[in-house]
Amino acid sequence: MIIKETKLDNITIVAPVGTLDASTASLLNENKVLSETSATVVLDLSQVDFLDSSGLGALVGIARKKREKKADMVLTSMNDNVRKVFEITQAFQLFDVYDDARSAAEHCRTKTASQ
Amino acid sequence: MKTLLTIRENSYAWVTSALQGLAPLLLPICNKPFVEFLVDFAVLAGSREIRLLSDGPLQEVEQYCEDGSRWGVQMSYAHIKESDDHQTIFEKNRRFCNDSKVMVIDGFVFVGYDKKNDYRDLFNSMPDGTVASCTTGSIRLFTVSESNMANNDETPVSLTPIDSVESYYDLSMHILRHESSRYVLPGYGSEPDSYVGRNVTISKSAEIIKPVSIGNNVQILAGSVIGPDAVIGSNVIIDRKSRITESIVLDNTYIGEELDVEHKMANRNTLISPQGAVSIAMEDPHLLTGIKDTARGIGNLLRTIVHTLTAIVLILLLVIPFILITPILAVQGKWKSSRKTCYDHTCKGVISLPDVSIERSGPLSAIAFALSLDRLPTLFRVVGGKLSLIGNAPIAAEEKNLSPPAATPGYRPAVFSYAEAENWPVGGSDAAIVERFYAIHSNPLQDIGLTMKSLINRFHDTTTA
Repeated sequence: MIIKETKLDNITIVAPVGTLDASTASLLNENKVLSETSATVVLDLSQVDFLDSSGLGALVGIARKKREKKADMVLTSMNDNVRKVFEITQAFQLFDVYDDARSAAEHCRTKTASQ
Repeated sequence: MKTLLTIRENSYAWVTSALQGLAPLLLPICNKPFVEFLVDFAVLAGSREIRLLSDGPLQEVEQYCEDGSRWGVQMSYAHIKESDDHQTIFEKNRRFCNDSKVMVIDGFVFVGYDKKNDYRDLFNSMPDGTVASCTTGSIRLFTVSESNMANNDETPVSLTPIDSVESYYDLSMHILRHESSRYVLPGYGSEPDSYVGRNVTISKSAEIIKPVSIGNNVQILAGSVIGPDAVIGSNVIIDRKSRITESIVLDNTYIGEELDVEHKMANRNTLISPQGAVSIAMEDPHLLTGIKDTARGIGNLLRTIVHTLTAIVLILLLVIPFILITPILAVQGKWKSSRKTCYDHTCKGVISLPDVSIERSGPLSAIAFALSLDRLPTLFRVVGGKLSLIGNAPIAAEEKNLSPPAATPGYRPAVFSYAEAENWPVGGSDAAIVERFYAIHSNPLQDIGLTMKSLINRFHDTTTA
């Protein structure tokens, strides 16, 4: 799995590419922007073609850590495969999910500014 | 024009409790699923893209509607949080809305329209704002660039809340009696007010009195009288000399011989009075019963066999260490046993389970924990068919649970939980996520692998403790 990082209006957009499962979840956990900084980030899932329970566990774990640091992780551009996993597990209740990275970044900027 | 359908779970919670086994968004109104009426209306209003949003499950409605191509539209699905307001929903779906005029139908409401009318020009020429509203929902028009609000004296459509069994019954009957010509209702009919689906067998001596709507795969046996004002769902058998008047028989229901159903709703083995939603569950399957889904039954049987055999193997492996170690731990006071009452797999009944905790100090208790000896007494419940080997952590019946088992799809109380296998925190709200994942994705063989994973995780847990 490759993890791409870009910036949009000072908000980091992290975009994993490939499969997010037990073998790749650790890469996401080790990503500095996701795990170490206390900045609110956007996770672009448009190029994640498969997500299993371990991948979901990594996302939930990162979101929990972010919230402990008074930040957040916002998800965007889920494809149908990923969205269905979020649906059956009702994990969508834990995350803000946007269909567009720009709107997600705007939300993050507003949230950061209000803190 | 695009359409956003936002339907929140709490607005249709009554369906889940009163009409069990039905997907609320596919609730049949005169044998046509609720969501299809909304799609039809969106098409009449000129929408070519429809997005369905909910904070509840969409799986069944997605399976039914697919990509919307059968209506000539593009359908997509997304989830919202319970706390999301209109503005947040709009922001979260900005790419979909994309500078076009958007009609938002909000709530579990029935939109009264007429298929003969063309709402396209009307809605396109209307300014932004509320087109129609009722106590539980509304239709609004939004455009990103415009800010002028509507002030309509006449509303082109009506909204009827579907917020109770009574309102659902009244709406179905009203459409059947007075407004069936306004909608495209499923079924064939050589005469008005009579809609009959595919593969329907009607005995020569049965009598059909209009207005009626009959679904697919229905058998109406000799001497039965159907109607007036009867909605018979799909996959239904009406046995000999029964009479159905002013009633709704929902899908997968068997109506026994010589039974008069008048001003009622029948759903599998439950008879419901529309006023006050009083219901009676029939114990006698010859009177009223559900028609079972055999495929699911076979799948469950296979899972039960695999779980039972694995549990027997585990019992045989663990029984000798159990006999040798537990008396010593009991004498040392490190083996603490009590009982707890938990919900069973039906979510209605309860079972009493042994609740063992091992005080993990010293090598012997570490071995007992690593070998999962504390789970041995509950393994016998797997053999007895009361528990699964792996599934959900049993939910205690006496607790004020935030997530009752009825809200957990495929709840199967088990000796080992999927959360344990995946090293998720057991019992927390996060654990429910992984348990829901495996409720859909697991199979009997995978269950064996995950049970082994739980056992190995406990071993590692002991070594790091």
